[in-house]
Amino acid sequence: MIKIRGLGKSFTGQDGSTVAALRDVDLDVGAHEFLTVLGPSGCGKTTLLKAVAGLVPWDDGDILVDGAPVRGPGPDRSVVFQDFALLPWATVLDNVAFGLRMRGVGRAEREERARSLIATVGLTGFESKLPGELSGGMQQRVGIARALAVRPRVLLMDEPFGAVDEQTRRLLQEELLSIWEEHRPTVVFVTHSMEEAVLLGDRVVLMSARPGRIADIVPVGLPRPRAGDVGALGKSGEYAEITAYLWDRLRAMHAEHRPAGAAS
Amino acid sequence: MNARDGVVKVRSDVVKVRHGLAHVPAAPVALAAGAAAWELTGRLADASFFPPISTVLARLAELTGDGTILPALRDSLVNLALGLVISLVGGLVVGVAMGRFRKVEAALGVYVYALLTAPSLVFAPVFFSLFGAGRGAIVAVVVTYAMFVVIVNTAAAIRSVPAHLVEMARSYGAGEVQVLLRVMLPAAAPMIMAGARLGVGRAVTGMINGEMFIAVVGLGHIVTEAGGRFDSASVLAVLLVVIAVALGAVALVQAVDRRVTRWVPKTSRGHR
Amino acid sequence: MSAAPAPRAPLRRILDANWPYQLLTFALFAAVWELYARQRGGLLLPGFAETARATVDLLGEAELWRALYVSNQALALGFGIAVVAGVPAGIVLGRFRLVERYADVYLNILLVTPMAAIIPLLVMSVGVGLASRVLLVAVFSIVMVVVNSRTGVRQVDPSLIEMARSFGAGERQIWARILLPGALPAIMTGVRLGIGRAVTGMVIVELLMVSDGLGGLILTYRGLLKAPLLYGTIVIILAEALLLISVARWAERKLTRWARTQTTGGAQ
Repeated sequence: MIKIRGLGKSFTGQDGSTVAALRDVDLDVGAHEFLTVLGPSGCGKTTLLKAVAGLVPWDDGDILVDGAPVRGPGPDRSVVFQDFALLPWATVLDNVAFGLRMRGVGRAEREERARSLIATVGLTGFESKLPGELSGGMQQRVGIARALAVRPRVLLMDEPFGAVDEQTRRLLQEELLSIWEEHRPTVVFVTHSMEEAVLLGDRVVLMSARPGRIADIVPVGLPRPRAGDVGALGKSGEYAEITAYLWDRLRAMHAEHRPAGAAS
Repeated sequence: MNARDGVVKVRSDVVKVRHGLAHVPAAPVALAAGAAAWELTGRLADASFFPPISTVLARLAELTGDGTILPALRDSLVNLALGLVISLVGGLVVGVAMGRFRKVEAALGVYVYALLTAPSLVFAPVFFSLFGAGRGAIVAVVVTYAMFVVIVNTAAAIRSVPAHLVEMARSYGAGEVQVLLRVMLPAAAPMIMAGARLGVGRAVTGMINGEMFIAVVGLGHIVTEAGGRFDSASVLAVLLVVIAVALGAVALVQAVDRRVTRWVPKTSRGHR
Repeated sequence: MSAAPAPRAPLRRILDANWPYQLLTFALFAAVWELYARQRGGLLLPGFAETARATVDLLGEAELWRALYVSNQALALGFGIAVVAGVPAGIVLGRFRLVERYADVYLNILLVTPMAAIIPLLVMSVGVGLASRVLLVAVFSIVMVVVNSRTGVRQVDPSLIEMARSFGAGERQIWARILLPGALPAIMTGVRLGIGRAVTGMVIVELLMVSDGLGGLILTYRGLLKAPLLYGTIVIILAEALLLISVARWAERKLTRWARTQTTGGAQ
């Protein structure tokens, strides 16, 4: 589905020095796969996601989606943003319909599809509210509905639950899983939470920082469907084993970059 | 000297922050281009009301040489300084009172906002009748221009001091005065300074407008006189001096601002 | 600010509202004025009551309405020019950094330049008629409009633009759906502040050089030593300024309901 070969990108800092954000990244994502990308902050995981989205240019390598090279944003992919990126002046309905509008879908169809997705994410009744009147969790539900409304083949999620509280995050994870289990889009999900990466993903891609590379790819054998009770999965031996392994790797990476004991 | 350093530094900061890669400082280039365009238009248009910059600069040298500008500049600066000091002290006191006590805010808020947006020069005839045609009336005009923006910003600044800082101070046994001096004023300083900066700009405007209306002393007096003679070169020459005064005063406030608010993180510091 | 629904002593409710304090301030101001005028009263210093009466009388005078018409003609035309030219200029400055880089120094200068000083030049170039008054009103207000429009475009959240691009929006759609709606609150703030400056410009030009309209009326009454009428005219000018600004503020709230809690930037 997604094929990334030799991807490299560097930024030029204010002082003129170059920082390698990504180097030699090779990655394949299968159709209908739920892939989570985990790494310390600054490891380039968001840059990787935005490159696949066609939002940032890169220096070396290729990204292919369904065999076609990525040259910019396309109708086959949609993004769920970390800070929600909702239009503060538009209603929930208009926000969800935004992507459809950009693609020239007529008003009647646009609203119908938007309404059905608002129902999917459990926001029926809030259609005419403004984002400012919603809680963080509800705002991100709008963001997810907007991304799904354009019926993407690939859903790119950039730390989507990073800005909501723990309980809301749990609920959103369960809802995302049930939506995914029903529609099965290909998902690339960037997170800095080990628990989230393991609970949601078929595979966890572990990235290292400066330069951002793929350090490890860990398959997650937890049974599907998982939407029913994420909490119970969190108690399984397999889950404990994988998170312990990921933590070892992450701690080793921290040790390479910082003096011992320094917290991130 | 200090003020001039301030101007230069501020400009280069802006360039650096906003355009990391650009090596050419934009402001001098833009100013040089503007001066060239002025000279060219002035020469081509050959209109009495728009003399080229060379004529204006020559006139400025002439006015400085014959002792017209400097005494007037001194008078204007005295008007400005008196007005500013009154505005800052009065604005700080009233602003703190408004920010701290709801009843003061209730009593004064509406009027302060009204006076902030009102066309301040209409009060000039009132001051004229109260203080006579002299320095008093001009200083009063300067105060009407500058004080309200200081009050409004100070009150808003005091109101937006995080409550947890005040609670923290109280938990260590700080009294009302200590809370004000050690917590509220320092925490409010960046916004108060922003108000002072706006106040300085307005004070210069008030100074010129007051002097033009009351027309007995200062740079405004020269502008009015030169305008009456249709001497456009003199008007523009004085205008250049006034702009220099305004930029110098703003730079001075910014230099103070930088001292007072050194703790504010760079990224959240507004540039303008 | 709304009164609490819980039962409360009526006195308490009155003490919690703003208006008693506002009224108190006003009464105090009027009393001090009246007393001062009686003590020190001269030809040019009428009392409060006298001024109030003169203001009411003025409202019945054809002379005042003619002056209002003359002044507001310049105000409407000049402010119209400022908005029509200033909003697009500010938007361009906000969106295109290169233009902004070179214009920035001039905007900073214009923000602190006392525009009144160019009145003599205006009079020299276009005479003492309507044109010079219109131009001065425009010059006075346009800087506010430009600076705030620029700020508005610049403060639009870049992640919204990125979001729109991710859904395939082109430059035109980004303008129509993201930049303009996002900048609207700041643009409206600029318009409101601009109105204040426009009224200032209108009065200043009339007071300083082109003795016509309301400012002309002030000068006439001063010449005739009709102090109550002079003060009455000032009251009416202030009232008009406050009325216009309130209307602008109301329109601003109406149009940008979503941004009410958000503080919009911009210079005063």
